[in-house]
Amino acid sequence: MIDINAIISTMMNNQVNIPLLQPLIEPLLGMPVIGYLIALILWKPFFVLILIPGFATMGIMLLILPWIERKMVARMQWRVGPREISPRTRGIVQLLADTLRFLFQEVIIHKDAHKLYFLQFPFLYFIPVLLPLLFINAGTAGNPLVPIQTDYALQIMVALISLMPVFILGVGWASNNRFAFIGTVREAFLYFAYEIPFIVIVLAMIVLYGTSNTVGVVNAQSGVWWGIIQNPLAALTFFIAMVMATARLPFDIPEADQEVSFGPFVEYSGIAFGLAYVMGYEKMYVLSAMMTMLFLGGGSGPEILGLGDLSCGIWFVLKTLIVLVIMVNLRGVYPRYRLDQGLRIGWGAMLILALVALGWSIVVMGVRL
Amino acid sequence: MKKVATPEYDIKDKLKYHVSALSTAAKEVVLPLNITTHYPRERKKMPDCFRGYILFDPERCISCFECSFVCPANAIWMKEAPSGRYYPTLDYGKCIFCHFCVDTCPGGALKQTKIHDVAYKDMDEMFTLTEEMIEPPEIIREDEGYVEYEIDKEDLSLKRTKGIDKLIVDVAPSQGVPMVSLCVEPESCLGCGICEGMCESGAVSSLKEDGMVRMKIDMDKCTGCGLCVKECSMQILRLVRK
Amino acid sequence: MFDANTETCEEVKKMATAIGVSEWEVKIPEKPLKDKLYFENLKAKVIDTNLCSRCLTCACVCPVDGIIATDGVEFPNYEEECTDCGACVRVCPRFVYEPKSGLGSYIEFIAGQSKRFKGQDGAMATELIVSAMEMGMIDRGLFVGRDEQWATEIFHVRDPEQLEVLPLGGTKYTFASVLPELKKAARFTKKGVGIVGTPCMVSGVRKLQQEFPFFRERIKLVVGLFCTENFHHDELTKYLKEKGVDFSKLIKTDITMGKFIATMTDGEVKFKVKALEEILPSGCNVCTDFTAVESDASVGSVGSAAGFSTVAVREENAKKIIDFIKKKGYADFGEADPAQLDFLIGHKKKREENIKRD
Repeated sequence: MIDINAIISTMMNNQVNIPLLQPLIEPLLGMPVIGYLIALILWKPFFVLILIPGFATMGIMLLILPWIERKMVARMQWRVGPREISPRTRGIVQLLADTLRFLFQEVIIHKDAHKLYFLQFPFLYFIPVLLPLLFINAGTAGNPLVPIQTDYALQIMVALISLMPVFILGVGWASNNRFAFIGTVREAFLYFAYEIPFIVIVLAMIVLYGTSNTVGVVNAQSGVWWGIIQNPLAALTFFIAMVMATARLPFDIPEADQEVSFGPFVEYSGIAFGLAYVMGYEKMYVLSAMMTMLFLGGGSGPEILGLGDLSCGIWFVLKTLIVLVIMVNLRGVYPRYRLDQGLRIGWGAMLILALVALGWSIVVMGVRL
Repeated sequence: MKKVATPEYDIKDKLKYHVSALSTAAKEVVLPLNITTHYPRERKKMPDCFRGYILFDPERCISCFECSFVCPANAIWMKEAPSGRYYPTLDYGKCIFCHFCVDTCPGGALKQTKIHDVAYKDMDEMFTLTEEMIEPPEIIREDEGYVEYEIDKEDLSLKRTKGIDKLIVDVAPSQGVPMVSLCVEPESCLGCGICEGMCESGAVSSLKEDGMVRMKIDMDKCTGCGLCVKECSMQILRLVRK
Repeated sequence: MFDANTETCEEVKKMATAIGVSEWEVKIPEKPLKDKLYFENLKAKVIDTNLCSRCLTCACVCPVDGIIATDGVEFPNYEEECTDCGACVRVCPRFVYEPKSGLGSYIEFIAGQSKRFKGQDGAMATELIVSAMEMGMIDRGLFVGRDEQWATEIFHVRDPEQLEVLPLGGTKYTFASVLPELKKAARFTKKGVGIVGTPCMVSGVRKLQQEFPFFRERIKLVVGLFCTENFHHDELTKYLKEKGVDFSKLIKTDITMGKFIATMTDGEVKFKVKALEEILPSGCNVCTDFTAVESDASVGSVGSAAGFSTVAVREENAKKIIDFIKKKGYADFGEADPAQLDFLIGHKKKREENIKRD
C-alpha cells in the first residue's frame, strides 16, 4: 500500500524556496488537486531535474544555442548568419523553422541498413546523454540543489559519458554506409584519445575535493575558491577533453563535413536527423554543466533578491551558457585537426597535463593535511 | 624528393598565436567587419563595362552575321525579318556573357548593360527574339542603395551609399579590331561585282571602261564586316588588320 | 595600330601589297552584241547556234551559279540575275571556236590494265587519279558515278577506299555535269584536284586555267577520254528501252567495232551505232577532237587489247604518275597501236564541215 501521506510529507519537507512566489504558492497549496501538483513541481529533485537546470532549460538552450553559434561564428567570418526567417528579430526563430522542416521531411531508411538499430540507437542514445543530469548539483555550498545525492555521483557520470560513443558506433554500423563507417571509426579513435585524460582529470578533482558526492564537490568550492583557481591545469584539460568529446572544431574529426559528409549520421533525414543534430548540443550541455559544477563553483554567485533558491539555478545556467558559448565559438577560430594529430594530442599533451594536474591535486591535498 | 617539414614553433610562439587568434575572434564578435551585400536591398556597384544583358539596335545592324559567327557558345542565331534582312536572336540559355559579339559588331548595334539578374520561368523563355532585345527587360528595383568594396592595402571594407545605381549606361561602342578587305588573287577576279553589291558602306566600287573593269576597295570606308569576303564567288577576298 | 588618316595610308598600302591589293583591273572580253548581257551573247553565239557541247565550263565559273544544265544549257531569269561579268564568255571553248583534232602530241603511248580497279576496259582513268592521290599530287578527284537508272552523279573522292563502295568505274554514255563541281573542289582543295572528262570538258578546263590563275594552280591533273559523242540521258534511255534494254538488269554499256552493246544479267542487246545518229546532240556534231589532245593523259579503249586501256601520256605530270604506277606495280602494261585510232580520228575530223561559220 503506497503511503500517500508519507510521500507528500517528504515532498513538502524538501521544497524549493522562492520568496518571490511564496504568496502565490501558499493559497495554491491549499487546494485539493492543484496543491499536490504544485508540491510536486516545487519538490527539489523534480524542480532541478525538470526545470532548472534540467530538461526545460536544456530545451530552451537547444533553441537559442545554435542561433548564438551561427550568428557569432558568422560575425567572426565577416558575414551575417541566418536572418531571412525573421529579419526584425535577427533570425532568432531560425531554429523553430529548422525543427519544423525536420518534422516534415521523410525519414528514409535505405534497404541495406539494419532497420531496428537504425531507428532505435538514436533514441537509446538519449540514455547516457540525459542520465548525468540526475547528479548535477546546481546549488551552492550549504544549499544543495540536486536530484539524487549519492557518494558515487561523479563515477556514475563518468561511466555514462564513457557509454556515449558506443551508441554512435551502433548508429554508424547500422547505417551500412562507407562514410558512416569512416566517421564511426574516427569517433572510436577519438574516444580513446580523450577518455583517459578525462578520467584522470575527474580523478584529480575527486582527490582535490576529497569526495565524489556532487554536494561535497560544490561545498568544497566555497567563496572564491572555485575549482578553476584550485587546479587551473585540470580545468584547461577538462575543457579540451570536452571539446573532443562533443566533436566540436577543432576536433571535428568524426563528422567533418568536407571529409566524411557528417560521419555516423549521414544516412539520417527528417526527424531522425533532427535528433542527431540536437544530441550534439545536449551532450555539450551536460558536459558543460559538469564543468560548471566541478570548476566554476556550481550555482555560487551574488544572491538575486527575492528568488531564493532559484538564484543559484539561474547563476548555474548563466555559467553553463558562458562555457557553452566559448566552446561553440571555437568553430570560427580553429581549423580542423587531423586524426593522427588529435590522437597525438590526446595521448601526449593532454595525458601529461592530466597527470600533472593529478600530481598537483595530490600535493595540495598533502599540504592541506 | 624534397620534403617540406611543417614549421616548428616553440611553446611561447604557440601560446602567442593562440591568444592572438582568440582575441581576434573576440574582437570580431563585438565589432564585426561585415562584407555581405544584402541583395536585393542593396546592389553591388558594377563597373560601366560590366558584361550583362545585351541590348540590340536594329538601325545599326548590317546583317553581316559576324556576331553569330564569333559567338563561342553558338547562342546567336540569325532570323529573317519581314524586310528580308537578318537580325540576331539570342539564346540566354547558352550565352556565356563573353560579349565577343558586342566587340565584333562592325556597326556597334549590340550594347552591354549592367543588368545581370533576369529571371525566366522556363527554358523556352530564355530564347530571346530580336524584338525583345531592343528594349531592356522590366526591372523591379528593390534596392535603396549600392555597395562598393574598398581594398586598402591588406584590409577589405564595405562602403554603403544611398541612391540608385543606373543599370543602362552609355558606353562608347567598341572599335573592335579594325579590319579591311583586300583581294589576294586579283588575276582571278571575274569582275562580277557581287562584292560591290554586298557592300553596305560603299567601300567597294567598280568602274567599267572599254575592255576592262576597274575594282577598288576604299580602306577608309571599309568597316571590315566581311560580307564581301563571304560572297566572293572565287573566294579571293580576305579580311586583314588595318 | 594604324588609324585611318591619310598620312599612314601609304604604309598601309605598302603592307597591303604584300598580302593583297585594294585596286586591281579585270580584263573583260569584247561583246559581239554590245547592248546585251554577256550571257545573252553566249546564248546567241554558242547555245542558239547549236555549237554548245554542254561541257558546262560556263556553269563552273558563273559567280551567281545561274547557268544550269537542263535539256540544254540555260540561265533562267538571266535578265535580273546575270551580273554581266563576262566570265562565261571568257571560258567557253566554243565562243571563239578553234577546233582541235588529230592524235595530239604524247610522250608515251601504251596500254594499261589496272590490277586493282575494274572499269570499262583496263580502268586506267581511275588508276591514274588514284595513283596521283597516293603520290600526293592531288587530294581530291572528281569521279562520275551513276544511280540505278544510269543517270550520272558526280562524286568527290578524297580517299581510294571510297572507290570500294561507290559505283564509279565504267563508261556512261550520257552527259555528266563534272565541271560545276570543280569550283567547289578547287575552293577547298589543299594540294590539287584531278578530273576525268570528255575532250570538250578538257578544252573548257584549259580555257579556265588560261583565264584564271585560281584554276591554273589548283587543277593538277586532267585526264581526257576518247570520245566520239555523248547523249542526253532521257533521250538515250528512251531509245534503249525501245530496243529492249532493261535498266534494272544492265551491267555494262560498250561501243566497239561500230556496235552499241548493252550487257544485261540475262542477255545483251546489240545494234549499230549509226542508228543512234537520230539522237546525236548538236554540240557533238561539230566536235572534231577524238583523243582529247589538250589533256595531260588520254585514256580510251581503241588501240589496245581487250581488257586493256590505251593511255596516251602527254605531259610530264602524267608521266610521273605512270612511272609511279609502274614502280608500284599497280597495273600491267602492254603494247598499244596508234594506227588503230586513225579511223575514228578521221571520222570525227569530218565533223568540221558541220561548223557553220558566219
